[in-house]
Amino acid sequence: MRTALYERHKTLGAKMVDFNGWEMPVQYKGIIAEHHAVRNAVGMFDVSHMGRIVIQGEDAEPFLDFLSTNKIAGKPDFTATYTVWSNSHGGTVDDVIVYKKDSHHFFVIVNAGNRHKDLEHLVSQRKNYRVTIEDKFKDEGILAIQGPLALETFAKIIPEVKNLKSMHFLVHGDMILSGTGYTGSGGLEVYAPHQIVVSLWDQLIKLGVEPIGLGARDTLRLEMGYALYGHELSDTISPKESVSSWTIKNKNYFGKDTLENKNHRQAYGVILADKGIAREGYPVFKDGSQIGVVTSGTLSPTLNKAIAIVLVDGKVTLGDSVDIKIRQNFVKAHIVELPFLKKDDK
Amino acid sequence: MKYTESHEWVELQNDVATVGVTNFAQKELGEIVYVELPIVGKHVKAGEEAAVLESTKAAADVYSPLSGTIIEVNKLLNESSELINQSPESNGWLFKLQISDNKEYDNLMDSKAYLAKFK
Repeated sequence: MRTALYERHKTLGAKMVDFNGWEMPVQYKGIIAEHHAVRNAVGMFDVSHMGRIVIQGEDAEPFLDFLSTNKIAGKPDFTATYTVWSNSHGGTVDDVIVYKKDSHHFFVIVNAGNRHKDLEHLVSQRKNYRVTIEDKFKDEGILAIQGPLALETFAKIIPEVKNLKSMHFLVHGDMILSGTGYTGSGGLEVYAPHQIVVSLWDQLIKLGVEPIGLGARDTLRLEMGYALYGHELSDTISPKESVSSWTIKNKNYFGKDTLENKNHRQAYGVILADKGIAREGYPVFKDGSQIGVVTSGTLSPTLNKAIAIVLVDGKVTLGDSVDIKIRQNFVKAHIVELPFLKKDDK
Repeated sequence: MKYTESHEWVELQNDVATVGVTNFAQKELGEIVYVELPIVGKHVKAGEEAAVLESTKAAADVYSPLSGTIIEVNKLLNESSELINQSPESNGWLFKLQISDNKEYDNLMDSKAYLAKFK
């Protein structure tokens, strides 16, 4: 599949890769330069492979609250909430952002690879809840403009966003402008019909905004310790075990009971003390025994250190040292607090 | 200079072969952030994994184009792995091999045959 911006990516010389069936740009100029552009100024991402699902009706709020680990009921209008949807067997359906216009009008932004699974999950759990569920997969694209200069740059096109707060959103004509992103550098996301997305892209390019590929999107989210579905969360990794366990604020939610009966692993951040890069799947050892695996790892362009998220059994605490097996070698790493990037690092 | 199917280059002077990755390989891998070089004195066979290039995205194996003994590695790469991106076919060389069999070298692709792969 291709997004409406596919031709733009090709013209810009992007290297394209397959991402959950989508031909997406992994990089334009280079991952490290793109990473720094977002941390220090502004960059934009085509994230049209993600999907929007509209959930409306009298019971929209209790329905979404029931499915979510995070509290949805009682949120102020025009706010966005990151949450996880647990499945019925101790794993995760998806991690999503739930947007509330008012108590009867919601929408969610879901991951590319989970769009249809999420729809099925919503429909199968609807039961007696009075809600309608409608996807916008075909009609809309999504643009993320991220970085410390994102809002003021975008305000040259639509002045209203200048004061857009983090995790709040507004509706502007056919566009939804949301103070979200997944980079930790601030900015906004735009959900809009394809032709508007293409037009905004062209205007932002003229304003000098750098296009950013999925490669830097991954290093940016990893520095923040954010989960990526398929890595830190999956069909077999529960919200409670994951870096997204902080979202569990609801006393009861779908899938909760199945989680409590499970023997829990826990996710931690590690920084490598020696040379090497810990990649997904590499085994993690403590005192000679394997205790888990790496779920994501990279070289942090901001810290210039190898960072990774590990999912481990048993007790480890902050400051502990573990060994990560990189090919034939054991490389020492320390358990650290997430996010990897502290406020002063940015 | 001769080339392999897996995008290594090799330059032979007497019985010492210098090995690196091609400009095409460098472009495909993206920014190299860390290099795992072989140990000097190690014996490798042609086609055997000899080094690992870690890019921002993934780890890629480098295979030795020839059989021989590692006699030198490019130590500059320990601090400046970006040399592989900047100068893959010169300053970004990876290791040198003492070889015993010239036939393996003769069987590799010349630049014309290697470039033809991209047509």
